[in-house]
Formats: sequence, structure tokens, C-alpha cells
Amino acid sequence: MIQRQNKNDGIAQTLACVFITLMSLGASINLAAFEAIITNERSGDVIHISDDGSTNHVTKLCNRPRGMTKGIDNFQVLIACSDDNKVITYNTKTRAIEAEITKVTGAMNLAFHKPTGQLLVTNEGSSRASVYELESGRLIAELPTGLEPDGIAITGDGKLIFVASENAGLVHVFDGATYQPLDVIRTNLRPRRIALSNNELWVSSEMGSRVEIFDAKTRIKKGKVIFAPKGFRPEQMTPVDILFNPKSNEAYVALGSANHVAIVDTKTLEITKYILVGRRAWGLGLSPDAQTLIVLNGLSDDFTMIDLNTKRPILTKRAGLIPHSIEVFK
Amino acid sequence: MSVFRFLPILFISFIAHASAATFHVVIVTASGAESGTRGQSFAGIQTRVERPVRRGVELALFESTTSFEAYGVAAELKIIDLNDQQPIEAQLAQIPTDALVILDLPKSEFTQVAKTLNALERITINVRHPDTDLRDQMCLPSLYHTIPSERMYFDALGQFLIFRGWRKVLVVHGPSKRDKERTEILKKSLKKFGAEISDTRQYTLSHHPDDRDKNKPEFLTGGASYDVVAVIDSDKDFGRYIQYSTRRARPVVGDVGLTPVGWHRTLERYGAPQLNERYQKFDRSNPLTSYEAMSDAEFAAWSAIKLITNSLSVAEMNGAVLRPRQILKHPDTQVDLYKGTRGSIREWNHQLRQPILLATGEAVIAVAPMPKFLHPKHYVDTLGLDKPESPCQLN
Repeated sequence: MIQRQNKNDGIAQTLACVFITLMSLGASINLAAFEAIITNERSGDVIHISDDGSTNHVTKLCNRPRGMTKGIDNFQVLIACSDDNKVITYNTKTRAIEAEITKVTGAMNLAFHKPTGQLLVTNEGSSRASVYELESGRLIAELPTGLEPDGIAITGDGKLIFVASENAGLVHVFDGATYQPLDVIRTNLRPRRIALSNNELWVSSEMGSRVEIFDAKTRIKKGKVIFAPKGFRPEQMTPVDILFNPKSNEAYVALGSANHVAIVDTKTLEITKYILVGRRAWGLGLSPDAQTLIVLNGLSDDFTMIDLNTKRPILTKRAGLIPHSIEVFK
Repeated sequence: MSVFRFLPILFISFIAHASAATFHVVIVTASGAESGTRGQSFAGIQTRVERPVRRGVELALFESTTSFEAYGVAAELKIIDLNDQQPIEAQLAQIPTDALVILDLPKSEFTQVAKTLNALERITINVRHPDTDLRDQMCLPSLYHTIPSERMYFDALGQFLIFRGWRKVLVVHGPSKRDKERTEILKKSLKKFGAEISDTRQYTLSHHPDDRDKNKPEFLTGGASYDVVAVIDSDKDFGRYIQYSTRRARPVVGDVGLTPVGWHRTLERYGAPQLNERYQKFDRSNPLTSYEAMSDAEFAAWSAIKLITNSLSVAEMNGAVLRPRQILKHPDTQVDLYKGTRGSIREWNHQLRQPILLATGEAVIAVAPMPKFLHPKHYVDTLGLDKPESPCQLN
């Protein structure tokens, strides 16, 4: 904003320098500082990045760390170490592994229900999801799904569990208390991630190039969003991560091989903007002040930060090898 | 895989379908007509994978179990092994009207059976023959091709060479009729993308000193300027001796070296490792080693079944059978090929459109279409004959 006023007023270059200095100061003062953790599948580590995109620390963790979610304490994350068949609790402050649950076959993605302390894990090669009591690491239930379960979600009240099976093209619905199967939702091709908001279930269909929206309670299909950024063919849209902005009516969808992230109006389901990012954009994170969107680019091994006020990318920086998931902290 | 143990019990409770629609799958083979040396070159050395496609079909049906449950479908697989005792028509008569018929046959038997079944309006799938004549000339309304066409393979290779800046190509081919025909297709692909053919040379197996210009790789590849050598050797007779023996230090591509393929055991992305692992392990009575993967024909057979089972949402299931013809004609029919882009049917010649992998024995080097090769309508339609070029116009 300062820069724009500066240009309009036509002030001399020397003043511009002052303004630029002020602007960069302003950036660090006005925007809430944050730190983010990114899991990197291929390099087997997490990187800690700060809001200016710099990597502050790299922690070597395990083999193929993929899905990640926040843990019991705000500074903890739970990470699925797929090739080690375990889920670890990582302390982002001490940068140490505090606990681990072993024998979690093909741990892929995670969801944590804080009120009940239940950890939900998809077991990629085993056609099931598992429910653990996080505190004790005790296995509570195994939920049979289709082949290649990936995205998993639980409603805020803990009553419903949803698991997307990539190969089967189905989302299995389970009772969150009894773990009995309740329903099967038929989706388009290769359902990947599930996001819940206001009793709506958003499912990304990677090979179907769309997001489908269902009523979480009735499971009736309410709508769909089909992507088409300029210069791309429909089959190049391979959406993966979906993220809702809690402070606006916006949802963000990473479009994979289309190398874009889409902004969707959650009320009208209109796509309001496509933003060019890195190659095979898939993981998404949002800053605590909901001003910055972070996109993980799985094929170019980097991440892009997007200013959500201007809807423009601010920077793209190097991540580890195959960045997979991101969690953001104050 | 514990999935089989749990599923039947769990799903029955909430499947509303009173009775399931049957998905009839038939594999037609002619084991007696197959060459006794499948995949073997001189002295019994195994140089290529040529085995029945049945395992690919069974894998696809295994993978589709939960979809079948959810959509109320039951699959039935039947194998018909043709013999030369009875008339072919009589042997094919047992094929149900609405079956999906996978033809796992040598070329001449294939042509005969495809024509017979076309007359009977049975849907047939070519999973073995990339031959362009089956698409461009035979062009049967009931025949679909899930194995890539020769043109698709060579277009992928042509794009890769241009992408790498290897524009000058020395073409070396064998003496067989098939080698010569495929060389002509390769040349069309190279021209399409702007490569330059330095020279075309024919290899001979003769060891006679007079033939040394044609039988010694050093001589065969001498006296020309080129960036890369493209080898056409359909039976893998001599091509494997060209690498590391060329006059100039140049890469070798085509039927040896960097090869265009439909599937590969080392593809790391797009869920491919899971598909490969499943292929090795799903049949507990006959597990394979982790070095084994689907051949292009097996992958094509797998793709054909998955094309139907991935598209059950478009099926009009108002009877006791699933009708593959209706599904294959539907514009929304698609398949998840584990190659990063979904597959679908080119309505003009019934070819499954799909990305092509460029691979060595150890790694997938690239997935075509290569960057910057753009098509106005469909991402992968720069591979193979496009609608305006195709002599076959089924729609």
C-alpha cells in the first residue's frame, strides 16, 4: 500500500528508498510472525521455515515422512513415517521426537480429534484406517476401506469419520463412537483429500480433475467445482489438498500437475482466481492470521508463499526433497 | 491383503441393490497357436516379456471389489482357449452378448477373431498389438485398443529426442518385414516433431566378412554425423549389441536403450509403486518377485477392465448385466492409469489415450507428452494419430 501511494505521488527516488525500507519494516511489524514445519518424503526430514521463507532448521526424522497434523499440545505435530510403519510425535520447540506408535503399516495420512485424543491413520497398502488412543498408543479400531486409503477426516463433534480410497473411488463413512461402517460415498476418479467445513464434505478427485461437495450428514452430493486455468487441458488438473480459510469465504485447492492453486468462493462455488506456483502443487498451509497461503510443490522441491490480500505469490523457496505436508504455528 | 476377508460381511448391510448386475469378462487365448519360444531370442535367451495377460485382468478385478460392492456389480471371468479342432465361430458362440472380450491372441488369430466378434457385435479389446493397420485400416466399430499404437510409442520417443536437442538421428533397423514397417512409422514420428534422419541402415546377422558394414556395430554406425542412434529390432535379435559399440559415443534409443513403454516397474510417482506391489502380491498362491511388473500387454488388459470399473457411475444399470458398450461410448468414461493423467477413449479410432513412459531397464527417465508439446484439445493427443489425420473415423 505504501509503495502504491509513493508511486502515485511521484516522489523522488531517494524517498522511494526510504519507503521501501519502511515497507519491509512494516512487513515484519504488521504481519503476524509465524513458523511452519514441512515434511519431506524423499529426504526423510522436516524443515522449519519462518515467514520470510528462510529455512531455520532441518531435522532428520525417519523414512518417508508424509501426513502431518497438530498434536495434543500446540507446539507438537504428529507425523506419519510411511516406510518405517510408525507415527511419531515431534516437538517443534525442542525439535525432538517425543513419542512414537509403531507397527502402523503404511501410515499415510493423519487426523487427530483433540477432545477425545483419538488419532486416525490411513494404512495405505492395507485397505484400512486405524484408530489409536494417542496418549497410550493403544490401537482402538481398524476400519476396512477400499484400496489405497489416503485422506481421512473426523467431524468436530467426533461423530463421523470419513476415509477416501484412491483406487476405489469411494469415501467410506464410519460412526466415530462405534466405528461401524455407516455409508459409502461414490466419488469421481482417485479421491485424495477430504476437508470438512460447515457440515460440508469437500473431496478432491485427482484424476477426475474436480472437487465434489457432499452434505456430511445426508451424504447427498451438493455440488462440484471443475478447474480450468488458461493454457491447460482439463485432464492436467490433478487437485490434491483442500484448505478452508476460517476468516473468509475462501477455499484453496492445490491443482497438482496444473501448477496452480485455485481460490474458490465457498458460498457460490465460483473459482475467483488461479495463482501460478511450482510443479505438482499439492500440500497447503495457512498462516495463523490467514494472510499467507503456503503451497508445497512436490515435483520442484519448493514452496510458494502467497499474499492473500493481493492474491499474488510473494516468494518461492527451496524445501527438502518431495515436500508433502505443512503445519503452521504462531 | 486382508481386504477380502472383511469386505463381504461389512458391506452387505448397507448395499441397497437387490441383485447385482453381472459384468461378463472373457479372455480369448489360443495357447496352441502361440510360438513355443515366447519372448525368447536365439539360443533361448529371454529378451522380452511375453506372457498371458490373465494376471493383469485378475488384478484389475481384484482392485475393483469395493467398487463392485458399492455399485452392485458382480464380475464373472471366463477363459476361452481356442483350438483348431472346432470351427472358431462355434467356440466363440459361448461368449455372452454383453461381455467385454479381451483378445490375447497372435496377430493372425487376433484379426480373424476380432472380425468374427465384430460381426456378432461383441465388444473386443486389443491388448497386445500396437500395429497401426489394426487401427487405421481394420478400424472395427466393436474393437477397442488399450495397448498404445506404434505411432504413440514413436511419437513419445520423437518428442523426447527434440526435447533433449538430439535432432540428428541415425536409424538402424533389422531385416524383417515388421522391422521395416516399424521403421517407416518411426520416421513419420521423427519428421512430425522436426528431427532430421542422418541415414537409415539395415543390420544383417551374417558374419561374412563382405557384410561387415552391416553386421559390425562400429561399421554400421560409422561415416555419419548423428546425435543419437534409433534402433528398430522387433525380435530383440541384434539391437542389444549396438549400445556401447557405436562408432561415435552417442546414446541408443528405440527397441533398446531408452525405450518407450506403456508401463514400468520403477515408476516412482502417481501411486505406481502401490500398483506394482499389488501386481506382485495380490495372488497369494502365486506371488511374484519385486523385480516383476506388468508387461505392456498385461497393463493394457488391466487398463481395459479398469476403464469399465472406474466408470461405473456412468453405467445405465437397468438390467441384470453391465453393458460395456454403453460405458465405452459414454463421453465421461475415464480410467486412473497411475501415470499422472487419466486415460480415456479416442472416439475416432477407439484407442485408449495415455501418457507413454520413456525408460531404461532401471529407471523411468521421462513421461511423455514432453513439456511444450501442446495439443489444442487433449493433453496427450500429441501422441498418436489425431482425429484429422486418422483414416479411421468411427464417430
